[in-house]
Amino acid sequence: MGTLTIGLFSALVGSMNYDFALKLAEAAVDKGHKVNLWFSSNAAGSPLKGQKHLKDYSHGETPLRKLIEKGVEVCTCEACSLARGVNKTNAIEGVQWSAMHWYLAKIHGSDRVLHIGGE
Amino acid sequence: MKLGVFLSEYRADSTILQRLSPEKLGIILVGNGVYHAAIKEKGQSSQILDLKANFYALKEDLETRGLDASKLDSRVKPLSYGDLVDLIFNEYEKLIWM
Amino acid sequence: MADVKLAFIVSKPPYKSEVPKLGATHAMAYQTVEILLEEGDTVTPVLCYVGDGVLNCLKGQKAMDIYGITSTETHLKNCLLVDLDVYVCKEDLENFGIQEDQIVDAEDMGAEKKLQVVPFETIKKTVEEAKHVLYF
Repeated sequence: MGTLTIGLFSALVGSMNYDFALKLAEAAVDKGHKVNLWFSSNAAGSPLKGQKHLKDYSHGETPLRKLIEKGVEVCTCEACSLARGVNKTNAIEGVQWSAMHWYLAKIHGSDRVLHIGGE
Repeated sequence: MKLGVFLSEYRADSTILQRLSPEKLGIILVGNGVYHAAIKEKGQSSQILDLKANFYALKEDLETRGLDASKLDSRVKPLSYGDLVDLIFNEYEKLIWM
Repeated sequence: MADVKLAFIVSKPPYKSEVPKLGATHAMAYQTVEILLEEGDTVTPVLCYVGDGVLNCLKGQKAMDIYGITSTETHLKNCLLVDLDVYVCKEDLENFGIQEDQIVDAEDMGAEKKLQVVPFETIKKTVEEAKHVLYF
């Protein structure tokens, strides 16, 4: 089994890149791979808890919590999140907070890296 | 170099792929990129499909857009998220998202 | 102990998107990554500007004066200050008619390193030699 690190820079709502990344992460972890997920740029606004699942919008909180339960390591860029009003008190539990070197360190130990640039 | 490229846009500048000219190129059509697999403009298939590459299209993204995975250009192989995981671990050592 | 080479490829012009700037800032993070790695492990990024991305490298950017945000020029200067290798595609600069004296340097900050104008072939080789590619 391998390690996949996904860098996600797209917003939760809008491009569906976010939806893609979470589905790919789940498919990989279900096959027994280790998965790391890094949020930067507009994706760093997504770890906000209390998201209402309205059917017209992509929804992140429920699938993200599920991924964390399955052992996916999820980390957000602290500066990117703070700039978007997300902080440790209003964020989804289990999401890690760090800086860009977290992403590079996970890449160091990865077999595959999929860097999904944002808007 | 075995390069897997995720093409997520329909109107995308793909010149970088020709410039990199990897020994093995896989183009994985996801998001709006799946239109390359199924849509013809003025009767012509997408020029992307003329690249020397193996082509794949994500079934879930085809179906999301009302496209029939059984009616794709013959050069494109439909695949699921699970297939995609196997593909990226087994066939392509480096990945690019466009 | 392993060194992992990474190719950061920036292909988009600045400011319309945050992404090109993040190419520079993520590459710069190599400087502190060792605190999270095993002894002797390292990450070596090369930051490459291609296509429209070479427009990030124009000097004289006034984003801070006008919009109050750090300019891409400043981020590039910081890259040079931390001795990052930064390549700018020669053919793409020529395509835009940009001369080498129009691109960023960090001489005013005391950096010895300069942006390196290289043929695309060098960038291709960088991608080939890298373990992973991050395309911004």
